[in-house]
Amino acid sequence: MIVVENLTKTYGSKKAVDNLSFSVTPGRVTGFLGPNGSGKSTTMRCMLGLDKPDTGIATFDGRKYVDIESPLTHVGSLLDAGDAHKGRTARNHLRWIAMTNGISASRVDAVLQMVGMEDAARTRVGKFSLGMRQRLGLAVALLGDPKVVILDEPANGLDPEGIRWTREVMRHLANEGRSVLVSSHQLVELSLVADDLIVIGQGKLISSGPIQNFMTQHAKTWVRVVSPQFDALAALVTAQGGTVERTAEGGDFHAVSAATVGDIAAANNIVLHELSPQTGSLEEAFLDATDASVEYRGQSTTTNVWEAPKP
Amino acid sequence: MIGVLKSELFKLRTTRATKIVVICSIALPAIIFGLTSVFGFTNGEVGDSLVSMVGNFAPLTGLLLGVVGVLCSTQEYSQGTIRITLVATPNRLKVFVAKILTTLVVSVASSLLMLLLCLVPSQLILSSRNVTFEVVGSDLRVLFSAVILSAFLSILGLSLGLIFKSSPGAISALLLWPTILEGMVFGLLSLAFKDSNVFKLAPIQGNGFRLIATYAVPDQNTWLVSLTYFSAFVAVFVVLGAVLFTRRDA
Repeated sequence: MIVVENLTKTYGSKKAVDNLSFSVTPGRVTGFLGPNGSGKSTTMRCMLGLDKPDTGIATFDGRKYVDIESPLTHVGSLLDAGDAHKGRTARNHLRWIAMTNGISASRVDAVLQMVGMEDAARTRVGKFSLGMRQRLGLAVALLGDPKVVILDEPANGLDPEGIRWTREVMRHLANEGRSVLVSSHQLVELSLVADDLIVIGQGKLISSGPIQNFMTQHAKTWVRVVSPQFDALAALVTAQGGTVERTAEGGDFHAVSAATVGDIAAANNIVLHELSPQTGSLEEAFLDATDASVEYRGQSTTTNVWEAPKP
Repeated sequence: MIGVLKSELFKLRTTRATKIVVICSIALPAIIFGLTSVFGFTNGEVGDSLVSMVGNFAPLTGLLLGVVGVLCSTQEYSQGTIRITLVATPNRLKVFVAKILTTLVVSVASSLLMLLLCLVPSQLILSSRNVTFEVVGSDLRVLFSAVILSAFLSILGLSLGLIFKSSPGAISALLLWPTILEGMVFGLLSLAFKDSNVFKLAPIQGNGFRLIATYAVPDQNTWLVSLTYFSAFVAVFVVLGAVLFTRRDA
């Protein structure tokens, strides 16, 4: 179990992490979300003792990371897939890490096999694609067969098969009772695997808890209706306080439940071809939740900065 | 600690740049020494010139092993492996001590091998021509000093690497200070103070390199004073490197 309490980290005048508290439960995959520069990586670095927080503490089963003997056998981490000497082979990269924590060479070969890199074991890291480096980074995280796994953007650069494989690995690790904390910008992928979410913005906690709670709180819901008598239904629903948005086949009702729309249709003998409750994606919910804390925002393509220069 | 030491040695063994520099630090003096033995002495007796030549090579070997020390630390930063090193061993002092010991082992072993490759083939070449060449008491001090100089320069390089965190900066400081800047600075100081003795305060040229001198010079520091002065100079950088390495965010 990971517990982070009142973590604060300042770089100069900028507060990267601001009094952040959350916990990560064993047996569950916890997604760690936030816009660029929101403090996710800094939080992870503070948790692993790489950066010293100004205040606060992060513990793994009650112990600070720096106090754990042979920490790789308790906590496995992937912070940056590029953290490997380009001139070393994959196997040698894992071997020097294994030596520090008394991990056997046979375990090195085992994790290489687990991540599908046994054929590339004697290839220099410099020749690897980003996807291969991600796999090697994951091998580093799994090297000590840890109870806690922390992954920063593990699916970056992976092909669709690799992304699905990473998802399966995370689910498998959680099913084995391990705590899995994963930060990712691939929200669709995360929505498929995460049980819990921690969302931060500008270093502060925005939301923490089961993914369903987050979706209920931040995702838009509406009712999709297809009916030959749509206009009549729309008038009745509007009278009940709902709002209507027309689409090609029918329309979407907002601020009203599917049951209410169904009851109104039944009471007024209105024929329905489709009545389905809709929920926005995790991406939409995330954007809604973090809108106020986005630090770096690109200009919309509808603005004039995107216009081609006139000759 | 043993695991961390083994890991640090393994890291040095598995990078091409460090291997090349170590080989150069051993092979360059050995080749020149061998060629000098082949072409330089045809008969008679070799005085102290051959041993003093070892002394002349010692700064080269020492500086190259200093570059190995630099690479031992800066490669970790340039390749990003420092994060993995510190995640695997959160006790930074342990990592620092392991790096110092590893660098010392490599530099002492390399300089001993360099001396061996310089002296043994020369002995064989010269004795085949009936040229007498014996290593005697004062020569042993020079050879011993060559090893000490390499050891100190290598840990100076390591410390500079930890301070600068970049190879170009640390290697420039390691090579430019003793070869150019120190001479300029202390030359100017001796002009300013109208005292040529100021040069004996120069930490590397005036003391470090003095360790391998085969003769005593009046007004210069004695061997023991030079050793103490040079050790203190290196110790300042070691302490600074240790403080920054243990306190700075990785």
